[in-house]
Amino acid sequence: MVIRSLVSVVDDDESVRESLPDLLRELGFAVQAFASAEEFLASDCVGQTRCLILDIAMPGMSGPDLQRELTLRRQEIPIVFITAHGDETVRPRLLEQGAVECLFKPFSDTALRDALNAALRVS
Amino acid sequence: MENEFSRVVDALPGLVWTALPDGRIDFLNQRWCEYTGLSVKEALVVDEAYGRGWQRAIYPEDLPELLERWRSIRASGQQGEMEARLRRFDGEYRWFLFRACPSADASGKVVKWCGMSIDVEDRRRAEEALRAREGRFRLIVDGLPALVTLRTPTGDLEFANRRYLEYFGATLEQLKGWAWGDNFHPDDGAGVLAAWRRSVETGLPCDIECRRRRADGVYRWFHMRGFPLRDTEGRIVLWYLLHTDIDDRKRVDALLVGEKRLLEMVAGGQSMSGILEALCHFVESTASGCYCSVVLVDPSGTHLEYGAAPSLPASFITSIIGRPVNVDSGPCAMASYLNEQVIAADLKSETRWAAYEWCPMALAHGLQACWSTPISSAVGKVLGAFALYYDKPRTPTSLEQSLIEQFTHIASIAVERVQSDAALKRSEVFLAEAQHLSSIGSFSWHVATDEITWSEQLYRIFEFDQGVRMTHELIDSRVHPEDALMCREVIERALGDGSDVEFEHRLQMPDHSVKYLHVVAHGTRDQEGRLEYIGAIQDVTERRRAEEALGQIRSELAHVARVTSLGALTASIAHEVNQPLSGIITNASTCLRMLAADPPNVDGARETARRTIRDGNRASDVITRLRALFGKKSATTESVDLNEAAREVITLLRSELQRSRVILRADLADHLPPVSGDRVQLQQVILNLLLNASDAMSGVDDRPRQLVIRTERDEGDRVLLTVQDAGVGFETQDVERLFEAFYTTKSGGMGIGLSVSRSIIESHHGRLWAAPNDGPGATFSFSIPRRPEGVRGAHSLGAIWKSAVTDAQQVMRNP
Repeated sequence: MVIRSLVSVVDDDESVRESLPDLLRELGFAVQAFASAEEFLASDCVGQTRCLILDIAMPGMSGPDLQRELTLRRQEIPIVFITAHGDETVRPRLLEQGAVECLFKPFSDTALRDALNAALRVS
Repeated sequence: MENEFSRVVDALPGLVWTALPDGRIDFLNQRWCEYTGLSVKEALVVDEAYGRGWQRAIYPEDLPELLERWRSIRASGQQGEMEARLRRFDGEYRWFLFRACPSADASGKVVKWCGMSIDVEDRRRAEEALRAREGRFRLIVDGLPALVTLRTPTGDLEFANRRYLEYFGATLEQLKGWAWGDNFHPDDGAGVLAAWRRSVETGLPCDIECRRRRADGVYRWFHMRGFPLRDTEGRIVLWYLLHTDIDDRKRVDALLVGEKRLLEMVAGGQSMSGILEALCHFVESTASGCYCSVVLVDPSGTHLEYGAAPSLPASFITSIIGRPVNVDSGPCAMASYLNEQVIAADLKSETRWAAYEWCPMALAHGLQACWSTPISSAVGKVLGAFALYYDKPRTPTSLEQSLIEQFTHIASIAVERVQSDAALKRSEVFLAEAQHLSSIGSFSWHVATDEITWSEQLYRIFEFDQGVRMTHELIDSRVHPEDALMCREVIERALGDGSDVEFEHRLQMPDHSVKYLHVVAHGTRDQEGRLEYIGAIQDVTERRRAEEALGQIRSELAHVARVTSLGALTASIAHEVNQPLSGIITNASTCLRMLAADPPNVDGARETARRTIRDGNRASDVITRLRALFGKKSATTESVDLNEAAREVITLLRSELQRSRVILRADLADHLPPVSGDRVQLQQVILNLLLNASDAMSGVDDRPRQLVIRTERDEGDRVLLTVQDAGVGFETQDVERLFEAFYTTKSGGMGIGLSVSRSIIESHHGRLWAAPNDGPGATFSFSIPRRPEGVRGAHSLGAIWKSAVTDAQQVMRNP
């Protein structure tokens, strides 16, 4: 039995939490979805997560906030940011701060797979 | 013989006596002695003097005259009579007539006097009574306040009372010598003579008014009446002629006639100069010998103006007019200045007005006296002066003073009336002009008589010919057919209780153009309780058009503002659209993969396809909402739930606010009543306020970017929506500037949001305001009336009309 890498999805948008895990499973990953950064941090998945797919804008703790928090906790999980805001200027800054990729919604399944592959290579 | 004679004489039923030529009584008959109670001896002898004893029976006071008379009878040798009172035996004196006849001998010498004493007491009494009566009559007639004459049946003068004699300054005898007509006014004599002759001929009373010349040459008016006095057989024995002095009454009558004529001229709107000239002529004819002038004080109150002076030389009056109103420039100027009468009785000795050499000027024109009296208005303002001039020195008599008073009064009425007429005309012109400029016409409607009066402007508004008689039918022919029923209902309801009316309606003109009218009318009742409406009608077509144009501009501006905020929302919109798009693509990818698997995961594919559709719908919803909010659309009126409207805006803004790290708290009241208005416009305002609040907090990092949107019921059936931020706030002095178009505190904004928002809220009869918070930030609020229940009810005519207009506009735009 192949042990699938755990990919955690943190997004406040329900449709993302519904659709993205299915696609990730089709791509061969194990998936956990969380509605907020706080929920993710409180879960026992943090240590097992091989890649974090993280929404940037969320109520409460935002994606970058979570990134900083994980850095502080020395939990170096590769992060692929996803955002519905088409603001190109955020991407370089996020990559600079250690993100593997920043995908703008809507993104294709291949772009997602490439980003995941890159993330898993990092890890 | 002697005894025989004595017996006969004694038997006579009278008192008989004889006397000697020297007057001594030598015989008294027995009756004489019996009557007087004297014996024969006593009657013949007294104090040894023979023949004088009878004298003791005569009333002592009558005796000297009796003896004198007796002497003169004897001296005449002729028969004579005398009267004296004789004492009866009982001591009572009665008047007797003593009649004596001489008896002569053959040579003609009187040898004896034969006499009789006859009791005339009753006759004397009657005569005295008559004399007393006559005396009383004369007293009465002389005392009558009338001139009285008695004339014979043929008209000859017989008697005139004292007043009559005094009036003519003549005795009765002199008057009898005057010819008829001598003392009548030349204009009256012939008429009076004819009337008098007719009365004498027919015996009918005479009644005529005439002037008669007094002793001093003055004619006075009399009312002359003649009555015939008839005897028992109806023959005229006497004419009484009664003259009553009616001169004062005649003068008053003449004054009244003159006054009436002058006042008629005033009432008839004659020119002031015409009226004043007539006044002068009238005064001159009434107070003969005078010259009359009226000068007026000019509108500035500083100089004299020409009024009237028809009989004075032009050079005289022109040297008066234009003089300053003061005490020095002349009597009229002085009277006007002091508001007091100025009497200059003798200009030769007059010392006033020397500075202006007024007296020499007047004297050069032959005037020697001037009486000037101020003409004052009813409220005491001096209008001018009324002056009488004489060519001899004169002081006014009390009669003349009262005339002056009367004429001054008439002059003041004339001047004041003419001036107020002029002022009235002026103000009427102003009013007409003002009505014309403001497109307001006025009207009155007497309900009982259906009498309708229109101002000129109202004719113009309705486009009827000036002066056409107004009827309801005529008015109805112009009222817009769609408003006719409403107009009728409004008027009928008002007539029910006479209440005031205010409503708006349209006119449809013959060329099918439409006018909008605003009608305001006030109901009043006259003394008999009859209803009358007085009102004003304003043509508000231009205003309506401007309002419509304004509405259009407002919606353009709102669109501009919306487009502006669209820019600000791009990211948010992208987020809203990208979110479901992302779901769609992810789901579709998953679906493909599930179908491509071996075996294909059909159930999973079906589920992902279902989610694809859902997300597609979600994207479509976003687009619909965006179009609703940002599409250009004209205003509509509907029932709006502000909570729901706010929630939709919040949904649209959610991600934008998240991105700006704004914490939004929605505190929306339950059971909020709906408001009436344009949903999208109101949402636009809410959006604007939320975006502004968010922007205001963009630089805030030391405190939560807390944004609270709250709805609640407000006082007076209103709904309040507030947006409270914790941003930079604003300075109190800037609070009103916030709402000015193009005022902005933001570097990137156009600043049009708040001014447009305010105009939107005001078009919803609401209010939008801002206030700084106690802590950081500011609160923006708007309050708008809740949707009235039964808005189409009869209470709000304006609302009916407005909604009708809006409907019509809708129909016109979307036929």
